[in-house]
Amino acid sequence: MADTPRPGPRPAQLLRRLRRGLFASHLDTLITVVLAVVCGSGLWSLLHWTFLQADWAVVQDNIRLYFNGNFPVSQIWRSWSWLGLLGVLCILTLMPSRLLPPAMVRLLPLFWVLILPIGLLLLAAGLGFEPVKSRFWGGLQLSLLLTLGTILMALPLGILMALARRSSLPLLRWLTTGYIELMRGMPLIAVLFFGQLMIPLFLPEGWTFSRVLRAVLSLGFFMAAYMAEDVRGGLQSIPKTQLEAARSLGLSPLLTIALVELPQALRTALPALANQCVASLQNTSLLAYLGLIELLGISRSILANPNYLGRHLEVYLWLALVYWAVCILMTSLARRVEHSLNVTGHH
Amino acid sequence: MHAMPSNSLKRFAIMPLLLALASCATAPEEKVSLLEQVKSNGELRCGVSGRLPGFSFVTSEGAYTGLDVDICRAVAAAVLGNPDDVAYTQLTAAQRFTALSSGEIDMLSRNTTQTLSRDSAGGNGLAFAPVVFYDGQGVMVRKDSGITNLEGLEDKTFCARAGTTTERNLNDVMQAEGIAYELVKFETPDQMEGAYLAGRCDAATADRSSLNSSRAGFEAPDEHVILDEVLSKEPLAPATVDGDSQWADAVRWVVHGLMAAEEQGITQGNIDDQVTSATSGENQENAAIRRFLGIEGDLGAKLGLPNDFVVQAVRAVGNYGEIYDRHLGPDTPTFIPRGLNDSYVNGGLHYAPPFN
Repeated sequence: MADTPRPGPRPAQLLRRLRRGLFASHLDTLITVVLAVVCGSGLWSLLHWTFLQADWAVVQDNIRLYFNGNFPVSQIWRSWSWLGLLGVLCILTLMPSRLLPPAMVRLLPLFWVLILPIGLLLLAAGLGFEPVKSRFWGGLQLSLLLTLGTILMALPLGILMALARRSSLPLLRWLTTGYIELMRGMPLIAVLFFGQLMIPLFLPEGWTFSRVLRAVLSLGFFMAAYMAEDVRGGLQSIPKTQLEAARSLGLSPLLTIALVELPQALRTALPALANQCVASLQNTSLLAYLGLIELLGISRSILANPNYLGRHLEVYLWLALVYWAVCILMTSLARRVEHSLNVTGHH
Repeated sequence: MHAMPSNSLKRFAIMPLLLALASCATAPEEKVSLLEQVKSNGELRCGVSGRLPGFSFVTSEGAYTGLDVDICRAVAAAVLGNPDDVAYTQLTAAQRFTALSSGEIDMLSRNTTQTLSRDSAGGNGLAFAPVVFYDGQGVMVRKDSGITNLEGLEDKTFCARAGTTTERNLNDVMQAEGIAYELVKFETPDQMEGAYLAGRCDAATADRSSLNSSRAGFEAPDEHVILDEVLSKEPLAPATVDGDSQWADAVRWVVHGLMAAEEQGITQGNIDDQVTSATSGENQENAAIRRFLGIEGDLGAKLGLPNDFVVQAVRAVGNYGEIYDRHLGPDTPTFIPRGLNDSYVNGGLHYAPPFN
């Protein structure tokens, strides 16, 4: 192009670029001005409301409820320490790996798997603590517990199903394909309703499954179908020649899967899987409509407190912030894992 | 063909089925009343909404409170002697009946309107306790609109929640009165509230108790009025599962006891004096009050409860009037005038049968 920027002092250059980008023609100028006014006034009224009109007592007074639900106050340290452990684990994972002892880096995935049983032990009972029933679990702590439970259940199940869908045994292949298509054809809320309403009716009298467990099972079975498809995508990206090479090296089918197929497939599927993990956090909020007091559910109970009537905007803005923060954390963890796999796996 | 093995296989397959059927047939006879189960569990599993201002919500300390919650507490106090022995489960409208019939909860205290189909075995199969709150659909308008009755709403716009009975009730009443109107529907109460405040409609319609709590959250509650006209009957009552009359009777008479206590002026504050007075004071000749307080006779034992179950309940949560005032009285943000919810002594509908 002819109009390459002439050399000049930096501010002038910047100004010229701005002018070319935003005010090149009359139409451009009009669009820029209209957009600036609309965005500016929107931002202004949001800030004005946030700092001058909003009454944040509804958030400040109930911090404990948002994070721990109505966990018994005498035992609340257990709830905080689990959230704390989770935080430490996030920090360790996000730290550059050269700052950590190599043994620690290798053990991190194990810690991530162990954090759920540790959480259950801390929150429910065991280790000589007073048992706390699952109906006292609530708030962000319950949302995270549900998310972790879902992921830890759905990921192995999804990998198994992805392999089964490519199996040479027709019955196995048809069953998994049928299952995956069934789950993908149903809205999540229907699956959750089934889990919360129908399972208790089918169970023999006297049997009860806690609602949290029922929620994890329904979320996990649902999410597994999606994860299976993500992993299958990864499996399909592996060239056939690699399998032939593995066979000619004398690897058994099981070893071929474990050493050749899965490591590559999972690396390819990682962005999609991370996406599912973030989605599974947000899916837990649907359980508020089924009476669970996870983050959104407990907020609705707080809103029913006559002292905070009509404070919906404050609460929902705060919730948006919390969900956003957790999601950002999850995506940066995923990026970190992706990065480390790419580095160690370079050929 | 190998007929023998397949036959014996069939027999094997049928055996467990027969066993299962047999156990189904004998199950009802062995069934223990929930009353005994609650006593042996040491806690009452109570289903509440947890999201209704004045009726059930969670305080900043994490405790459940509200009118519906106090009914659970009263039953726990009467049956177990401690109002805190309650395990609350939050239930949505869709879940509440399943939770009861699957045995996830022992009683439901969740703003449930008593209707024929919910009561009957052909419907939801519930057993209702006495009504604890007479609600009804109401209409809220802006005070400066000058509207004072339904006729004033001719050709005006109503905001209502979609898919609820509210919509149908409004239609029934307006059609009967021959008043034309327009309707805008919303998915959630928050949306409806927001639309009404933004002036999207001239009137909002919902149950009076919920209109009232919406209004309490407005910036200027005094600028809105709830019209006197009531468009529907919504008698809200606790419920237990059908077919367990011992448990249903126990819950029913605890609620009656709370109302009877109010009729007789027995309160949380004076309950101990009342007991002393009936045991050895001026009321020791008053057989009716002695029976009511469980000092003589075996009214409680007939229900499978301690004889002083009313004393336990009133000591724990107060009489019905006190419960009402604590959560919906003039000193609360969710004030609703007692109206139909007053004792029959004061012209309301609450009337306890005799404790004989």
